[in-house]
Amino acid sequence: MTPDPLNRLVAQLAKLPGIGEKTAQRLAFHILRAPGEFAVDLSQAIREVKEKVHLCTRCFSLTDSELCGFCRDSRREERALCVVETFADLMALERTREFKGRYHVLHGVLSPLEGVGPEQLRIKELLERLNDSRVEEIILATNPDVEGEATALYLTRLLKPMGLRLTRIAQGLPMGGDLEFADQATLAKALSARRDL
Amino acid sequence: MRLLGLQLQDFRNLSQVQLLPSPHATIAVGQNGQGKTNLLEALYFLATLKPLRAGRLSELVKWGASNARVTGRFLLKGAEREISVEVGGGTRQAFVDGKKAASLEDYFGGVSVVAFTPDDLEVIKGGPDARRSFLDRAVFNRFPAFLRESREYARALKNRNRLLREGAAVEPAYLEAYDETLAKAGARLYARRRALMAELAPRAQATFASIGRTVDPAVYGYHPAHLSGDFSQADEAALAGALREALTARLRRDLDRGFTSVGPHADDVTVTLGGRSARAYASQGQQRALVLGWKIAEIENLEGAMGFLPLLLLDDVSSELDPERNAYLMNYLAKSGAQVFLTTTDASLVHAAAAQDTLWLSVSTGQVREGLPDVPA
Ligand SMILES: Nc1ncnc2c1ncn2[C@@H]1O[C@H](COP(=O)(O)OP(=O)(O)OP(=O)(O)O)[C@@H](O)[C@H]1O
Ligand SMILES: [Mg+2]
Ligand SMILES: [Zn+2]
Repeated sequence: MTPDPLNRLVAQLAKLPGIGEKTAQRLAFHILRAPGEFAVDLSQAIREVKEKVHLCTRCFSLTDSELCGFCRDSRREERALCVVETFADLMALERTREFKGRYHVLHGVLSPLEGVGPEQLRIKELLERLNDSRVEEIILATNPDVEGEATALYLTRLLKPMGLRLTRIAQGLPMGGDLEFADQATLAKALSARRDL
Repeated sequence: MRLLGLQLQDFRNLSQVQLLPSPHATIAVGQNGQGKTNLLEALYFLATLKPLRAGRLSELVKWGASNARVTGRFLLKGAEREISVEVGGGTRQAFVDGKKAASLEDYFGGVSVVAFTPDDLEVIKGGPDARRSFLDRAVFNRFPAFLRESREYARALKNRNRLLREGAAVEPAYLEAYDETLAKAGARLYARRRALMAELAPRAQATFASIGRTVDPAVYGYHPAHLSGDFSQADEAALAGALREALTARLRRDLDRGFTSVGPHADDVTVTLGGRSARAYASQGQQRALVLGWKIAEIENLEGAMGFLPLLLLDDVSSELDPERNAYLMNYLAKSGAQVFLTTTDASLVHAAAAQDTLWLSVSTGQVREGLPDVPA
């Protein structure tokens, strides 16, 4: 018989994505046996992430203050705004260190099949935010799949009349000589969108 | 491309099969219900990851077993590759040389099969759905990217249909965004099917003429329904534009019915004989010759495009053809040099396709043995 507190921890861990019952057990034992303050620190970190991290009131990325670091940073370009599906996408773009503008996180894509319409996304907030801003270009960086495309097209319809420059991130082959490993549909697209040199 | 060895485990009623196919004809003979089609299906599944007969993946696993596995050793572009696929728990996993294949597309790099079943022979007089999937199988064989492209289209279509069902409450810009997404994905499918038909139709016509006995010329065509403009010339952007227009024009009706009534999913292949609809007027024999003409054209076309013949799977086709057309097919197979798998209940029907190096198999209650059955069926 395993003690109830251990069972409870295993049950909680097993609810995490990608974690099965076995792994949950391994993690629980690890936590139990870990030296010093590990378990206390872990539980504190979990509590704080819930208590302190929330959405930025302007761009809806994550922050522990009213405005996020991207919105507060005055060195960032206010004229370019990049619209992404998720915070994870924002992080991926940030890792390139190429983009120096601001962000707006939609928190999803338009998907009738999943029951996600415009009201479920931070689209109203995007429009409000543009009302009195210095934004000149909006980069639509939703994914190149069906829902991401439809979302970009929908935003285009809403934003075009505002007279801003609208751009869509290019799609095509991954860099690094991976032609060989690209799937055929991506390759076919890249081939049909070839350009003159 | 050549299949050097084939191994099956718990695939439908075949518990354990190991064979070294002939470089030309391998012929499985057996009574009804013994496992001949299952053997072909295993091979088809290995090459396409799709069951030959409609149904669920779990049906492929032998009753009482937990997994089915099919493994083939292929000679592909001068190198030997081992490709296998495992089904269990409702999912499948492909392996290339023992390593998990990351995506379906990686996996389709080299292997190509054309299957020919008695169902295909019904396709001329059957419904548009059957003809469309008949066409799409050929498109997929020719353009592997089509698999993913048609899935994208299907997803856009489902989304749009869901919006239509929500009806008047949907914001116009929202529906328009999906119209445009659907139109773009649809234009890609139009262009793929058109490209295939441009290659295939003249060949099929010529093959049909050479099968003989019908003086009227056959014409195979693909003309999307409800689309304005010159379909044969339009580029993809123009096709997307035309589909958008059609979607808008039919929006009222589509909102009423809750589904999209125009697009590649609603199209048909037209076949005419002497200018008249083959579906309405062609005789049984003519209908079958029309399919035969198409299938042989498909094989030759693939050979032209890939530089090698696809693997041919013919399931019990001979018993459905009259002697003269069957002789034509058997002759064609023998002459083509293709690697062929045939099944039959009656070995005498396919003798003309056999040669010295033919591998005869007898199939009985899920057991596959080399050699002809002792008592001819
Ligand atoms: N998952 C399965 N497990 C066990 N047996 C199966 C399974 N699926 C199908 N079968 C059986 O396999 C048998 C043989 O089927 P198959 O279609 O290969 O016959 P066949 O030799 O092609 O016959 P015919 O000449 O009538 O076409 C059928 O009796 C069917 O019940
Ligand atoms: Mg059969
Ligand atoms: Zn912010």
